[in-house]
Amino acid sequence: MKLRIAITTLLALVLMSQAKAQDNLDITGYVRNYTGVLTGGDNDFSIVQNTLNLKFEKSSDRIAFKVNPYLHHYFDRDLELGLREAFLDLRFDHFDIRVGKQQIIYGKAEGVFITDAVSPKDLKEFLLPDFDEIRMGITAAKVNYYFGNSTIEAVWAPVFTPTQMPEMNSIWRPAMPFPMAPTYDYSTEEITPSLENSEVFIRFSNMGSAADFEIVGGYFWDDDPTMHITKQINPITMQLTGLTVRPEHHRLTMGGASFSTPLGPTLVKAEGGYYSGKHFQTETPTIPDATIEKNYLHYMVGLEYSLAGVMLSAQFIQENILDYEEGIRNDEIESTMTFLAKKSFLREKLWLELFAYVGLNNEDALIRPKVSYGFADGFDIQLGANIFVGDKGRFGQYNANDMIYTKLKYSF
Amino acid sequence: MKTRTLTLLIMAFVVSAFASHSVAQLTGQQIIEKVYTNPSGDDTQGNLSMTLTNNRGEQRVRNLKQYIKDDGKVEKKIMYFLTPADVRNTSFMNWSYADGQSDNQWIYLPALKRVRRISSDSKSDYFMGSDFTYDDLGDRHPNQDSHKLLREETIDGKECYVVESTPKEEGYMYSKTITWVMKDNYLGVKREFYDDRDRLLKVLTIVDFAKVDGFWTILKTEMHNVQRDHTTTMEFTDVQKNKGIPNSRFTERSMTLGN
Repeated sequence: MKLRIAITTLLALVLMSQAKAQDNLDITGYVRNYTGVLTGGDNDFSIVQNTLNLKFEKSSDRIAFKVNPYLHHYFDRDLELGLREAFLDLRFDHFDIRVGKQQIIYGKAEGVFITDAVSPKDLKEFLLPDFDEIRMGITAAKVNYYFGNSTIEAVWAPVFTPTQMPEMNSIWRPAMPFPMAPTYDYSTEEITPSLENSEVFIRFSNMGSAADFEIVGGYFWDDDPTMHITKQINPITMQLTGLTVRPEHHRLTMGGASFSTPLGPTLVKAEGGYYSGKHFQTETPTIPDATIEKNYLHYMVGLEYSLAGVMLSAQFIQENILDYEEGIRNDEIESTMTFLAKKSFLREKLWLELFAYVGLNNEDALIRPKVSYGFADGFDIQLGANIFVGDKGRFGQYNANDMIYTKLKYSF
Repeated sequence: MKTRTLTLLIMAFVVSAFASHSVAQLTGQQIIEKVYTNPSGDDTQGNLSMTLTNNRGEQRVRNLKQYIKDDGKVEKKIMYFLTPADVRNTSFMNWSYADGQSDNQWIYLPALKRVRRISSDSKSDYFMGSDFTYDDLGDRHPNQDSHKLLREETIDGKECYVVESTPKEEGYMYSKTITWVMKDNYLGVKREFYDDRDRLLKVLTIVDFAKVDGFWTILKTEMHNVQRDHTTTMEFTDVQKNKGIPNSRFTERSMTLGN
């Protein structure tokens, strides 16, 4: 299998380089080594990954295409070959049509997903990879209509792509607080590709001197499956004898908006989305499958400011479950903050960055300091750490996964 | 007869000298306004090659394609980064306003796949690691500074006005600039930038300029940071003027789809 992937890749490279020679095909990409080691326990390697990422692009006035294959090699896993994007563009005077696998990003928030519900997430390594690697491409047809500084975008995705979760034995597998090892029933997890099961999104955006804003809406599947739980109880002893977990994706309807505007030297951003049809886990014993449907709000306000050459940014995010009921496992209101400080030195050869998520409900955090140095044009050396604070919550649950890492990346 | 002729000649000389002196009596404000309003065409497009040289002589090169359009009220500029590979397909757009309103700036990073508005206060940041700040690259409105004509002098055979400009706002990155403005075409040929302690920080020199499509155009400049001894050379090629760049060039679509 590995041999076949390698041969296919080589063959593709040869064909593409022939095409490049003949027809001005644009080939770019990068080669990267990413090595991370856990700072606790036995200092296990959390990741040793070698990546070849290629982008083949060609465009003219009316047509364009892009294919972005990638190859990940791990010391402890199978070779992974994938397509991040592969699409065709048709360009007209006032509108474009893009068909194929593509990443589609909504909203103004950084590092959090408020109305950004189109491209599902690859969470195999939690939120640690670069954001273009976290967001997966979806197979879709997208139409953009332009007038003045405004755009109307419509997306139709005939094939549902769920969130990519970590493997069962991965250190990034989120905590599942079951009282005993469950049996999984995957019979309802699959969404059959059909017209009825399509996803649709629409976006209106405007860019102007006073502000940029965006209004979005969508009717789609929840990328994260709801875990419907059936308990088997011995009628005599009333003891729990078994648990069956049945993952199922449910339909969501979302409407939202975002804007960013300069206020003197400060950039003010806000984004909010109303989600209808979300299923939450509940511990209320009278509810048979331990799930309950509720609507919720997800919103953010943020500021960006430059001080003495340091780019500073802060965001305050809340998820608010409406018509909340006791027993729901999530808090009624969950608050998170993000902070970013970034500065360059040596004429942008050296960058220092500190990014942090802080969970206010559970007093947990993920702190991500990073130093990167441009050793030569296109060659970047990065040294960073991921420090998890707290013992529960979205970030605290990984407190045994503190790590330091290096990334060596050559872009061409 | 000879005496009369001589008297007339002397009178003519005095009058012409007076006339020429009165032309020279432009104020610093007027000279900088002439620089600012120097016709540069309604739009400009071309390639920009930027060479960064450090104090050890090591060089890094950045290549961009840029489009500029000015309707008298707003100057819109969009830049597409071509090399190096790690910034390829990044685009940057700036809208600068004649009434002195703060600039609007956006950046498109292909990895993030969306256009982000950025804080225009970053005008004091250095552009792509060069010795030019974002503000150095824009047209600073004459009313943002107080201007004083210091003297007239000739450099490299060009007769120039020497004008000192002091910012009206407090805390601006430069305490003052001194500009050498060519008398014959009102192009700035040299500018010295002084830091907040009034020490010489950078010297901008116009290395090459020419008339392109009927407009005086700077084709090559060099910014030397004298305190750190590094230099940035900007060279403009394939420059074209008044080709009717459409407004749609300066939109989200254009930033996203590239040049």
